[in-house]
Parts: sequence; structure tokens; C-alpha cells
Amino acid sequence: MVALIAVASMVPGLLAGLQSSGIDYDAVAYRTGVILAEDPGWPVDPPWEMKDQYHKDEIERMGLAVSNETPNILLSTKIEKFFNTSFFDPEDYRSKVIFGEIPYSYNITLRSLDWTYNHKVGQETPEGYGYIRRVVKIKEPSVAVIDEGFRNQYTISPGDNSTTRTFTVRLDFSRLINLSIDPAYRIDPRTEPVNITITDFSEYLNKTSTPPIENATLKDVTFWGGSLSFPFPYDTENPDLYTLSLDGNPYDLKPEAPVESNISLVLKPAATSLFPLDQNSILDILFTFEDTDYPHTNITGIHYYDYNTTNVTRPALKPAVLEVAIW
Amino acid sequence: MVNDSGQLYTMEGIAAGLVMLLTAYLILSTTSIYTPGDTHIPDMQLEQLGSDVLAMMDTPDLEGGENQLVNFINAGDGNGFRESFLEYCNATTSGKPDTLHMSANVTYRGEDDQIKEHLLVGPDETWTGRESAVRVTRWVQLDQQSTRGDPYRSRAQAVLVEVLLWRA
Amino acid sequence: MACMNEDGQWIVLMGLLVAVGLFFLALIINQSALVGQTTAEGVLEFPKNDIRDLRSEIFDYYDRYDDLTDSERQNNVEDIVRISLERMNAVVHFWNGTPEEITIHYNNGVTVYDETVYHY
Repeated sequence: MVALIAVASMVPGLLAGLQSSGIDYDAVAYRTGVILAEDPGWPVDPPWEMKDQYHKDEIERMGLAVSNETPNILLSTKIEKFFNTSFFDPEDYRSKVIFGEIPYSYNITLRSLDWTYNHKVGQETPEGYGYIRRVVKIKEPSVAVIDEGFRNQYTISPGDNSTTRTFTVRLDFSRLINLSIDPAYRIDPRTEPVNITITDFSEYLNKTSTPPIENATLKDVTFWGGSLSFPFPYDTENPDLYTLSLDGNPYDLKPEAPVESNISLVLKPAATSLFPLDQNSILDILFTFEDTDYPHTNITGIHYYDYNTTNVTRPALKPAVLEVAIW
Repeated sequence: MVNDSGQLYTMEGIAAGLVMLLTAYLILSTTSIYTPGDTHIPDMQLEQLGSDVLAMMDTPDLEGGENQLVNFINAGDGNGFRESFLEYCNATTSGKPDTLHMSANVTYRGEDDQIKEHLLVGPDETWTGRESAVRVTRWVQLDQQSTRGDPYRSRAQAVLVEVLLWRA
Repeated sequence: MACMNEDGQWIVLMGLLVAVGLFFLALIINQSALVGQTTAEGVLEFPKNDIRDLRSEIFDYYDRYDDLTDSERQNNVEDIVRISLERMNAVVHFWNGTPEEITIHYNNGVTVYDETVYHY
């Protein structure tokens, strides 16, 4: 009888240790780390980072990797979408990255070693938590810089009397989507922004006339596939689809404004997805310059957006650290 | 006659009490807590981190660009390798560096068809009295290079870099 | 007399029941500590990084295939197979059918991995 009482009083002490789910946190953190660093997410084509607010439910899993063949190489567009806390709420992170029935608290941080990427999502970490750290590299979008080095190539031949000048940037998808190039170095306009920057535009102006002219008027920027013009909301400025800036000022795609020194067009993948393109299409971006009196610029020609390093600069992969804490 | 039944009752009571106490004692002593090291979780975290760092050092930043790991091995630059490796694996998102240490050697197949090891980075002063170390490996493809001296020689070959990683 | 014996037996029975109940509780607690242990050990045991690394190395070798002489190719293959066996405790065997089709076999005693892949 006494022994029974003694044992009965020891039982609560045994049950107190049962709440030891602290060991589970490291496993969940590891799994989340793998999903973020090694998985491109699902759906992968069209990619999950292009889903808008109305299709958010179609995202099953958010992963940051470029593809499933390139673990630990993260895509910058996926990173920007993932850390966008105005688009995702904590319940989304729990159901699309962390998984599990218990509502875990989380803290996911990503920092590039040169501090240019420094993102955080989640709450502050408490004393004890499950943890994993991954070392990754970030792939950033390519840029086509057309500076004065191209002047001889892209000037009209003498004797050309046309009144409008058109400069074309050509994206040949059959050349770009080249499977023999490692996905970590591939240019894919369907998932990454296309950046065209014309600097030193003053070199492309017609210097021979007097008084010396300062600028040329960019009439519009249009998109063509072969001889077909693609429909597009050219009149409205839409930062989700593109940004066009002339000398640092933003415009829509029908600016009809003078340009002195540089033009910068960034075409986001959301815009490229509006065009009817497949792996063999050609997308032409036409810059049309037209002035009221006589042509102020002599620019012409086709600039190929391809893997030639003089045509397109692909930035180096950026090393970064990813940390996941779960509690 | 009345004593026997009383003794039986008492003995049964004592036996029951002994059984319960013995069981309770056995149970309380078997549910010994595992130390964090027994769960191998820190080992898993370190191994994943070390593999990541070696993989990233083996990935050129530009297509056809320089491969850090191959350069370090060709030059036999142990110090450079150690600094670069530790820079990657001690980096945290908060900026406060971690305290990991490493040592490395390279396994190659020598002239006489024997598998040999060459020490690239020796262990430092934290080698004794450390926590358990984790071994991570990475294959490296070396091209034909006449200036590469001992011990790998100049032929094109595949070598294995082994890094021991521990927390001190 | 008879009822006294039964009382004693009740006590022993209750004691035995309590003991069994305690054993059951202890089993549950023991298992909960093992959850974390087997997860981490499962991760450590599966050679994910080893296999990925081996594939990457074999693809690197086939990228250079055309630039190597016959004896260099043999040497390279021998390097990978011998060092895998000695340092990675794994039996590795690989060959290519047509120029782009590569078959890889990996066995480290616990995990077996076979793959046929087209590498451009």
C-alpha cells in the first residue's frame, strides 16, 4: 500500500519529460533548408514566382534554386518573391515551405557575403531552436550594355535618307535556351528579367549638323515576333511588367521624349509571359527614334542578346549564406 | 493456523511493494537523457555545411571561369585554401562569425598505382580536446599541367579532397 | 481465511498492473528521444552529397573526354574507381554508350544508385 502510494507520486515526474519535441526542430529546419536551397519549387513551368495574388493557391512549394540540376545556386527573382512579406503571410510560409501539422515559428534569413542581399522573414529567435545553415551562390540577371564601343557597328551607312531610326535587340530563344549550357549560367528570359542599357547615347547623335544637337526623341519601344507586332499595354507604366528610364526618368513605352545620354529598359519575366513565345521563337525589341525636323541620331542595327560576352554581360555568381531557425 | 494466512498476506503485500518499487527504479534509470551529441544532429549540420562550402568553391562564378578549388590544389596553396574555406563556413547572416576549424588532405593515385594522401592544411592548436569532427569530401578534376609538381605530377587525373571540420 | 488470501492477491495484481503501466510510459518517453536521433542518423547515412559529387565528377570527365588520350582516359577512370573504393567505401562503375549517354552505378554497402543519363 505504501509502495503503491510512493510509486503513484513518482508518475507525474515521468510525464513531465514527455514534452521533449525539442529534438524535432532540427529535423524540420534541415528539411526546410533543403527545400529552399536545393529545390526550384513547384510549379516550375510556369514558375511559382510569377503567380499573382489570385493564383497564389496554385503554389505548392516555394524553393529558391535555379533548377533541380543546380543545387545551392539560387535565382534572384525567386529570392525577391520569397521575401516579399506583403504578398505572403505567415500561414503561406508554414504551408508552402515548412510543412507539418504543428504551427512552427520560423526565422529564415539570407545574406550575401558582400551584404547586397540581406533579407529576413519571421520572428526573433528565442533561446533554443532548431537550426541549419547553408552556403549558396546567387544568380543575377544578365545585362546587355550598348556603349560607344559599338558605335561603328550600329551607325547607318552614309546615303541612308530615312526619317526614322530603329534599333533592334533580338532575343533568339532557340539560341538562348541551350541545354548544353549549365542552368547556373543560362540566360532564360522566361524566368529572369532582360536588361538593355544604352549608355553613351550622345555618341550616337548626329554630330555633323550645326547647331550641335543635344538629344534625339525616342518615339516608342515595341515588341515584335518576326513580322507580327505583339499586343501589349504600351501606354501605361507598370513596374511589375517593365521599367523604362530615359536619362534616369521613368516613362511608359510610348515616351516621345528626348534622350540625351542613356536609355535603360528592364523587361520583367511577367511581361515576357504575355507574349506567345516558345523555345524557338524570336523576340525583337524595337527602339524607334523619330524627330520632327530631321533625324537627330544615326543609330540602327540589330544587337543580339546571346551568350557572346561582348554583347551581354552575365554577372558573377554571388556567394551567400542562408539560415533557417525553427521553434 | 491463523499465523500462516497472515504471513501469506503480508508477504504478498511486501512482494507487490517490492515489484512496484523495483520497476519504478528501473524505469527512472533507463530513461536517461541523450546528450545532444548522441543525437548526431550537430554532425548532420556540420556535414551539410562542409559539403555546401566545398561544392560552392568548386563552382566557377562565371561560365568557363576560374575554379577556386582547382587553383588551390594546383598551386598547393594550403593557407589560401584554409582562409577561403573558413571564410565561407564561418559566415552567418547576422555578421557574427562562427568558430569552426578545419584540416584538409588530398587523396590521389600515385605513380606506383598506390592510393596516397597528401596533407594540404594541417590541424591547428584546437586539434586536441575538440568536439567530434566531421569529414566532407569533394572530387576535383585536374587537367594536364606540366608545372604542377609533387606530389600529384603533371598528368590529368581525378583527386579527392577530404576536409575535417570541427567546432572549437 | 479464504478472503484474506484474495485480498493479498488483489494487491499483487494491482502492483503488477502499475508496473506494466510504468513500463509502457517509459517506452513512450524513450521513443521520443529517439525521434531526433534517427532523423539525423538517417540524413548522415544517405550519401546524398557523395552521389551528387560523383555525378558531377563523372560529367566533368566526359566533358573533357575528347581532349584526352586513350591512356589518360583509362587513368582517369581508374583514379575514380580506386579512390572511391579506398576512401569512400563505395563500388563505382560507369561507362558511356553513345557519346552522350552515360550509365553510373554506385554501391556503398547501404545504398545502391543506378542511373542512365543524357549529358550534353
